[in-house]
Amino acid sequence: MNFELTMSFADLLLLLPEILLTCWLCVVLIVDFAFPSLPKEQLAYLSVVGLVATLGCLAWFDLTHVSGALFGNMFVLDRMALFFKMFIVGATILVILVSIEYVNRFAFFRGEYYFLVVMSALGMMFMASANDLLSVFVTLEFSTFGFYVLVAYLRDDLASNEAGLKFFILGVFAAGLLAYGISLVYGETGKLVFSDMAPAPATPGLMIGFLLIFAALGFKIGAVPFHSWIPDTYHGAPTPVTAFLSIAPKGAAFAILLRIFFVALAAFKPMWIFLLVGVSILSMTYANIVAIAQRNIKRLLAYSGIAQIGNVLIGLAAGTKMGSDAILFYLLAYLFANIGAFAVVIAVSHAIGSDEIEDYSGLNRRSPFLAFAMLLFLLSLAGVPPLAGFIGKLYIFVAAIKEGLYTLITVGLINIIISLYYYLIVVKKMYINEPIDPSPVSISGPMKAVVYVGLAGTLLIGIYPQPFIDWVVAATMMFSNLAAPTAAVIPLIPPFGG
Amino acid sequence: MGEYALLYILFAPFAGALALIFVSNRQPMLVRGIAAGAAFVSLIASLYLFYAYDPVRGGFQFIQRFEWSRQLGISLYLGVDGIGTPLVLASSILLFAGIFVSWHIKDRTKEFYIWLLILAAATIGVFMSLNLFFLYFFYEMSVIPMYLLLGVWGSHTKKYLEMRDPEGLKQRDSVGFILNFASNSKEYAAMKLVLFLSAFAVVALMGILLIYKYSGLNTFDILVLREQAKLMNIPVLGTTLDKIIWMLIFFGFASIAPLWPLHSWSPVGHAAAPAATSMLHAGVLMKLGHFSIIRVAFEILPETTRELMPIAAVLCMFSIIYGGFVAFYAKDTKYVIGYSSSSHMGYVFLGMAALDYISLSGAVIYMFAHAMATGMLFAMAGWVYDQTHSRDIPSLGGLSNKMPFIAACFVVACMASVGMPGTVNFIAEIMIIVGAWNKYPFQVIVAVLGIVLTMAYLFKMMRGLFYGPMDQKYSHAHDAVSAVDRLPLLIMISVSVGFGIFPMHLYNVVRAGVDPLVAKITQVVPVASQERETSGVKREARVDSSRPNLVALPGDVSRLTLDAPRSDQ
Repeated sequence: MNFELTMSFADLLLLLPEILLTCWLCVVLIVDFAFPSLPKEQLAYLSVVGLVATLGCLAWFDLTHVSGALFGNMFVLDRMALFFKMFIVGATILVILVSIEYVNRFAFFRGEYYFLVVMSALGMMFMASANDLLSVFVTLEFSTFGFYVLVAYLRDDLASNEAGLKFFILGVFAAGLLAYGISLVYGETGKLVFSDMAPAPATPGLMIGFLLIFAALGFKIGAVPFHSWIPDTYHGAPTPVTAFLSIAPKGAAFAILLRIFFVALAAFKPMWIFLLVGVSILSMTYANIVAIAQRNIKRLLAYSGIAQIGNVLIGLAAGTKMGSDAILFYLLAYLFANIGAFAVVIAVSHAIGSDEIEDYSGLNRRSPFLAFAMLLFLLSLAGVPPLAGFIGKLYIFVAAIKEGLYTLITVGLINIIISLYYYLIVVKKMYINEPIDPSPVSISGPMKAVVYVGLAGTLLIGIYPQPFIDWVVAATMMFSNLAAPTAAVIPLIPPFGG
Repeated sequence: MGEYALLYILFAPFAGALALIFVSNRQPMLVRGIAAGAAFVSLIASLYLFYAYDPVRGGFQFIQRFEWSRQLGISLYLGVDGIGTPLVLASSILLFAGIFVSWHIKDRTKEFYIWLLILAAATIGVFMSLNLFFLYFFYEMSVIPMYLLLGVWGSHTKKYLEMRDPEGLKQRDSVGFILNFASNSKEYAAMKLVLFLSAFAVVALMGILLIYKYSGLNTFDILVLREQAKLMNIPVLGTTLDKIIWMLIFFGFASIAPLWPLHSWSPVGHAAAPAATSMLHAGVLMKLGHFSIIRVAFEILPETTRELMPIAAVLCMFSIIYGGFVAFYAKDTKYVIGYSSSSHMGYVFLGMAALDYISLSGAVIYMFAHAMATGMLFAMAGWVYDQTHSRDIPSLGGLSNKMPFIAACFVVACMASVGMPGTVNFIAEIMIIVGAWNKYPFQVIVAVLGIVLTMAYLFKMMRGLFYGPMDQKYSHAHDAVSAVDRLPLLIMISVSVGFGIFPMHLYNVVRAGVDPLVAKITQVVPVASQERETSGVKREARVDSSRPNLVALPGDVSRLTLDAPRSDQ
């Protein structure tokens, strides 16, 4: 294999958003060191400026249909990559805005916090473009590297340290699996780029290799049975980091999963469909049942996140163009609801110093706005009309029913009810219970902005989804030639799982 | 202007709710004014709709269509037929009345009205949706506000308030409150209602998704599916697909109706809810079930309906008798009315099951009539509760001295609920009974016994509340004297009695909706429309020749109901 490293200046243009962000990253770091007396929140706004510029650049690329591939197809820039890059950058902006208040809790390295967040975002942007196994490994580790530090950022907090350690050990283990999987796949096919692998025969080595790669990515998205790090890590990590961890890496990992399953493994759909169906059922059912018993809102959202990922996997199991549309759409709805919910959690914990669900009692009397926002975010996660989550779930189900995945849809529908129960328990605390301490809960400006963005996204996507559907449909145009499976491949009621 | 009536009816309450968000809770009169204004716009527009609906032309009128999502085949497609029109009217009347019934709510007034308006608007949305997606969308949307309305502004049962943990604490805050089956706290009622209805809603959603897939038309449009979906005779799991879909749709929506044995959420929910919510809940929310079954199962799967509707004929007997007996022995005013509602919904199922022009029209009119009657009863139970803080019938009594106006209205409401001639309930009941007699004589006998039972428990409750000796602790109770308090009752009474005396327009409108539907299901055409056909054309459609052909002449209600001439006489 030889790498084409000769690049023209025009090729470099494809990397413009990443280059822009890298330069800005250095600027943030230098400003932090050069002006130690500068208030740290100025650094946050400085980072946001760079991210907004990157977002603008990405949007410009998307509108002008810039696309191409670099480094012998290791790095592709197509509309799906652009979608996920915008998703990641958008999530990062919102996370930085909710961090501003929280950062004051850190004893040290307040400036480096923003550097690390933006660096992880940069890694995930590369993930969205990764088109071969080596770049998957490099970009995945690059983005996780920042998180290892971020999760353990509350240095004097034992829970945070435990979270960091757990995340690190399991993360390194997943990296090992990934490397082993990649070596097996390369050994079997001699290829690294996804699109070259498509005609490979289904040898056991290849299957095991891809299973290991799926396990590593399953760790990243937190699907059962690769989820064990999620509750403790989400619980212990600083809340803005939890918010970041619950959204951005999942988007990036789904970019890779889509490329693997829909491009490299498109021909083996009858085989992997059962894997995905099983993982999806396990994720939804296990996480939703365990979430009922949670007393900490961060743990509740952690389990709810696992269940949401189970839902997204339904779209992956559908394995069609529509399935990929639904995945992108669902992630978009999930982004707004989840970042909004975490913003409320951060605001409440800032005011009352607790993340226990019990302490949300009477939030409606203490801050009607926060309670109402939380209500809408939770209902959107549960999938109640007219909110974004409902359209997302319906889109996923429609995509799945066209492929005849009845068991999966049935389990998904039952899980809506289970999840509704624990979300409504939180609503009960907020609205029905009387507050223990009736003092009002205030909310800072940037945080309020994030809650408004979350509300706007949740309601707008729910009430008028057409522009967003058009966007995701255009973003996944590359999958439109996926062969429609025939009736022979998908029996009406598959023997199990389907 | 007129053709946008549906948009005014649907979006006025939403706009009101949106406007209320920006009003401060410190201005309660402004809050009430905005809510009442929004409801009034909706009421006027639906009155216009009701009288402007042209029964001769029939079919779906006032159609509004907006593309919503091309890829998923969804459009906001609104339109009403003769079945939807009276139900839209009933919803907006009850919303308007409900705003005044809850005039004295002090705790978080603004939020209460916001959720009440959203609840009513979503309910109205179901009645005018011609798209399966939006039918489900509004249906599920109407369930969630119930959670907050019950949970925040509801009331506990007596039993719950007396119950204590060993530590002497009220069992209110444990996560396990959902398992306190006996206690019936308002939290329990709210959670049970939402989970129960959502659970069955997703059953119906599964049916809707199956229709979507197997029709292969890539659309949720009911009118397209009705004409073009070919769902018959697809073998699956040892039966046929259309039967599975029909069962999913029927039982999914029958839970909200509530058909025995899926009724258990309903009395608990009624009892916990504040008065205005109970009114909307019993008055129109329960009809979402019947309406959705008619709109989805009857329209899209007519042949399966003919085959499987006897299920409803069997279950409705249990509804009528079981609900009636529980209502007779219940001691809580709201439980009595709640169980009486689920008993009365059995009549609607009987009328639907008979699949007859008269009986199905009767069922639709019954839905309208029951909305008014039960709305009155709940409004007055709420008034009595506000005055006495008790819903316990044995401890109450003699209140007619203190509240003569309420007592008089209560008598009228009981009469309406029983189905006294002169109220619209009478017309509806007699139409169901007459229409169903040919097909289900046994069920009709049960239904008539149910009417006797209704009399028994309603009169027993009336006596228990308003007559006999009065406990002196209720001496501060007072009557509804202000116009604001009397208005909702007077509206509902006048509607009930007015349509009881002049039912013709209501009847014509309903027949305009029912006729094509029953013709399609039973393939027997009413004589009235046969006469309108040119005489040369002979109808070949009578598959069920043993079934007597009921004659219906729109325009003469007395002949229709009392001595309907039959072809076999």
